[in-house]
Amino acid sequence: MKIKYFAWIKEITNNEEEDINSIKINNLDKLKDFIITKYPDLKKHLDKEILRFAVNQEYVVKNIDLNPNDEIAVFPPVSGG
Amino acid sequence: MIKIQKEDFNSEEEIKKIKDLYLNAGAITSFTGYVRENNNNKKVQSIYLEVYEQMAYKQFKKIISEAYLKWNLLDCLIIHRCGKLNVNSKIVLVACFSKHRKDSFESCNFIMDYLKKDAPFWKNEFYDKKYEWLVNSN
Repeated sequence: MKIKYFAWIKEITNNEEEDINSIKINNLDKLKDFIITKYPDLKKHLDKEILRFAVNQEYVVKNIDLNPNDEIAVFPPVSGG
Repeated sequence: MIKIQKEDFNSEEEIKKIKDLYLNAGAITSFTGYVRENNNNKKVQSIYLEVYEQMAYKQFKKIISEAYLKWNLLDCLIIHRCGKLNVNSKIVLVACFSKHRKDSFESCNFIMDYLKKDAPFWKNEFYDKKYEWLVNSN
């Protein structure tokens, strides 16, 4: 699956996107665990519920199953308009 | 119609192109957002507007569909810019076309409220020597 990072999140990850191919990461909660392990500086933002998640361009709040072809986006609160 | 673009646009021309399709449109409400010179007591040099484009198109389509269900609309236009924008540049145009004013007023407000809250754009505001990622508060 493809993970995309936006705005200041990508300043923490130093990465705009990455592919993750692990059969163990099969839901959003496991993906959250993966990213805070890989990027520990994201943990405090996750804990404070600052991070937003979208799966295939739709906002997701609860844990959902993930498929290998999914595109997951991780980003902070928006500021358009 | 939905457009996400780096380039500036002429609001009047963009609205007229759609208006000419609907001789029965008696009301158009539009909102234009601009880059301000001062924000949070800091002098702004420019902003960089980042977008998750694929999601923005999808979310704009969804919100326009919701607006069609709630109000009697003939058409909707959203143009949202991205990339580097200087002070006084246009950021966004929303225009709603209807027979009567109430539908266009209310739907335009509804779309802008959504856009400020959920549309996947992020403003990075540049000052003299620093920059700051913003969060929408209203």
